[in-house]
Amino acid sequence: MDSSKKDIFTILVGGSAGNGVKKIGAVLSSFFSNMGRYAFEMEDYQSLIKGGHNFCVVSTSTEPIFSHYEKKDVIVALDERSYNKHKDEANKNGVVVYNSDLVKEAEQNHIGIPLTTFGRKYPNPELRLGISALSVLFGVLGLSKDELANLIKENFRDVENNISFANEVYDYFVSHFKGERIQLDKGNKRMPVVSGNEAIPLGAYAGGLDMFFAYPMTPASTILHFLAAHTRDFEIGVMHPENEIAVINMAIGAASVGLKTMVASSGGGFALMEEALSLAGMTETPILAVLSSRPGPSTGVPTYTEQGDLYFALNQGHGEFPKIVASPGTHEEAFYLASELLSLAWEFQTVSILLTEKHLSESRKTFEIDLDKASFADYFKHTDGEYLRYKLTDSGVSPLLFPPSQSVIKFSSYEHDEYGLSTEDPEMITKMHDKRFRKYNSIIEKFKNLKTVNIYNSHLGDNAPIIYTYGSTTMSVLEALKFGKIEARVVQPIYLEPFPSWEFKQFSGVKSCVIEQSVMGSFEKLLKEKTGIEVNSHIRKYDGRPFEVESLAKAIKEALS
Amino acid sequence: MSVRDELTTYEENTWCPGCGNFGIFTAFKGAIKELENRGVKKSHVLITAGIGCHGKIFDYLNLSGFYSLHGRAVATAQGMKLGNPDLYVVAFVGDGDAMGEGLEHVLFAAKRNADITIIMHNNGVYGLTTGQFTPVSPKGFKGPSTPFGSVEEPLNPIKLVLDAGATFVARGYSAKIKELTNIFVEAILHKGFSFVDVLQPCVSFNDTYELYNKNTFFVDKIATTKEEAIEISNVQDKIPLGIFYKEDKPVHHELLLEGKNLFKESLTKEKRLQKIREFLNI
Ligand SMILES: Cc1ncc(C[n+]2csc(CCOP(=O)(O)OP(=O)(O)O)c2C)c(N)n1
Ligand code: SF4
Ligand SMILES: [Mg+2]
Repeated sequence: MDSSKKDIFTILVGGSAGNGVKKIGAVLSSFFSNMGRYAFEMEDYQSLIKGGHNFCVVSTSTEPIFSHYEKKDVIVALDERSYNKHKDEANKNGVVVYNSDLVKEAEQNHIGIPLTTFGRKYPNPELRLGISALSVLFGVLGLSKDELANLIKENFRDVENNISFANEVYDYFVSHFKGERIQLDKGNKRMPVVSGNEAIPLGAYAGGLDMFFAYPMTPASTILHFLAAHTRDFEIGVMHPENEIAVINMAIGAASVGLKTMVASSGGGFALMEEALSLAGMTETPILAVLSSRPGPSTGVPTYTEQGDLYFALNQGHGEFPKIVASPGTHEEAFYLASELLSLAWEFQTVSILLTEKHLSESRKTFEIDLDKASFADYFKHTDGEYLRYKLTDSGVSPLLFPPSQSVIKFSSYEHDEYGLSTEDPEMITKMHDKRFRKYNSIIEKFKNLKTVNIYNSHLGDNAPIIYTYGSTTMSVLEALKFGKIEARVVQPIYLEPFPSWEFKQFSGVKSCVIEQSVMGSFEKLLKEKTGIEVNSHIRKYDGRPFEVESLAKAIKEALS
Repeated sequence: MSVRDELTTYEENTWCPGCGNFGIFTAFKGAIKELENRGVKKSHVLITAGIGCHGKIFDYLNLSGFYSLHGRAVATAQGMKLGNPDLYVVAFVGDGDAMGEGLEHVLFAAKRNADITIIMHNNGVYGLTTGQFTPVSPKGFKGPSTPFGSVEEPLNPIKLVLDAGATFVARGYSAKIKELTNIFVEAILHKGFSFVDVLQPCVSFNDTYELYNKNTFFVDKIATTKEEAIEISNVQDKIPLGIFYKEDKPVHHELLLEGKNLFKESLTKEKRLQKIREFLNI
């Protein structure tokens, strides 16, 4: 049989919740990573437990890959809804397989397999359906049934039944498949595959995290699940209290006696924490808070993505106090940044916010990581003499001391004097405001020696057009440029507060475009406010779905032409 | 009036002369001294407070801790206990603070038997915000937000916390300092969730001295069941005072953290990276 080589290869598996689609996505991405290839996996699921429409898309390449693709080489539709929704997303030579027991009308060149009939021979047929995608993939790639059996053994329970089901699908598929086999080259580096909601807690843990508090809220919940599952082997604490208000106040209480703590939520839960984030600012208690956005406002669309919380993150907390907000562009950056933000929170004794989106939180990617580059939280320690919790210093940062101690250590939510006692004295109010404001300036000085902005494709020179973006949209942009062979630089501020305006002076006089997932263009507004840069055009998407590589490439070409 | 001593800070005391909070302050300082006799160092007693007249005790007591938000001291206290289980953590809360704004934290702390002590300054009003009715004020209470009398029935804090799972429950009176001191000592020494409802006259908005002086008495025993505790604590013609209930039960931080002290046992960077390497299989 003929075969053709492909570098970027994409497979989609669609079904209803309960068909094991999520699991198949994970198995597929780790299968590609075991081949030494890069992989990116996007999961699209609804806020329901059974039924509905779920799908996963996995794209793989021998080169770093930052997004799933719109056009697929293989589509496996486990039910009629998936078939109708995705059948037109195949490449020119793409293979479309559907469950002929459920799909009434299908196109000639698509391959129907009676998956439900095959599945019914075993207990829990619904759960098994997803495995058929592996049979189809192996058929397309010309891999053997032995290899298929091995993959199933490594990843599933009820091995015998699953292998038997997979083989039946495989045989059926191979005998009906008339197209060309696809050959995927092996890569030379085996990497783990992680989701953003694994990369973030891993980074925080590397950075010194001792205890995590959270109340479930998609798309942040899987941080809670991940850390809870690792409480024992990581030797940390994890607690799920009565609500987000308890979450943040407990985390602050624990931090005030020396624990490195983190909290996480999505918009609604984060809003409930806001009063206490201001408390952390006033009491100068270090806290790392993760905000993973879903489309808002309000309850919004829980399992989808958007960048509508930018100003919400920047403006957290009533009153004026220094805080740090940053947003990672990739899974690797999420890891480094989580450790760095925890360190910064402790160095400057204030709130650090890691702003991200469902798209990064829940998509999975091969993870090229250098663990030694992680930061580790440390703090300014009191050594001797009288202890003053809010000692006035040049940097604005006062030494920390934790109980039990002979000295009295007083944290206070009221404006306070150096000792930590409430004050209404105008001079002291001014002094303490100035002290906290000095921390803001100290943070800026620190930022000047940190990597606060990523510039991609700078080799293109100062005349190349610029795309400004941030957060997980960075990944979509990078992949779209690669796919469309577009010559443009990408400027992505990692830090958003304090905003590294000084890094932006170099960009002027070229064509530019802002790309973000926001209806009101909050990032474009911020860019203008902080740097004066007015872009020529913008591309915005706010339907809850991440950008698709191919359409984004087309839009960028138009925008920059 | 408070006297200067090592447990008193230099902060100017701004409670109204005659306020019941002075009694609580004196009793608590007495309790700290007694605890030191019993081997509890004052360096190990951490305090936190809500916002209200009651919260000012944080500024007056020369002890370490965290002056929290209105309603949130009980959450802060639990965080402190989880942060370092070697510490004794006491939360001073108001009746508005703990029964209104932050009721959930009180109930959940009781539910999980968090090993903290709650001292509720029960003056029946929002003192600091000028005398509005609180969740425990009687029906008909007239305050600036209920000028025609409150139309709601009050909560019964003792019954609430018992139902939720409290393992030490008592009621004291700020003018009975000796007994209140003893209740505080027992509450702090109790391993588990301790709740002390302290009747605290507010001379400016709810002067209850006469009522409490005439109509309180101390119960003569500790109940053996929660039902009995609710019964003996129930306010009828007279208001019962004393320790109503005490039970030994596993405490939250020991169960959740499986005996670990995360502050003392925090892993080094190297150990953490090693564990991540194992997890990622790299
Ligand atoms: C979130 C929030 N809401 C409202 C207030 C205003 N406030 C301060 S003290 C208080 C009531 C205090 O009543 P209580 O807790 O009974 O304490 P008391 O003054 O009686 O001791 C209120 C409503 C606040 N500080 N924070
Ligand atoms: S208002 Fe009432 S509670 Fe507040 S200090 Fe005055 S007497 Fe005490
Ligand atoms: Mg009150």
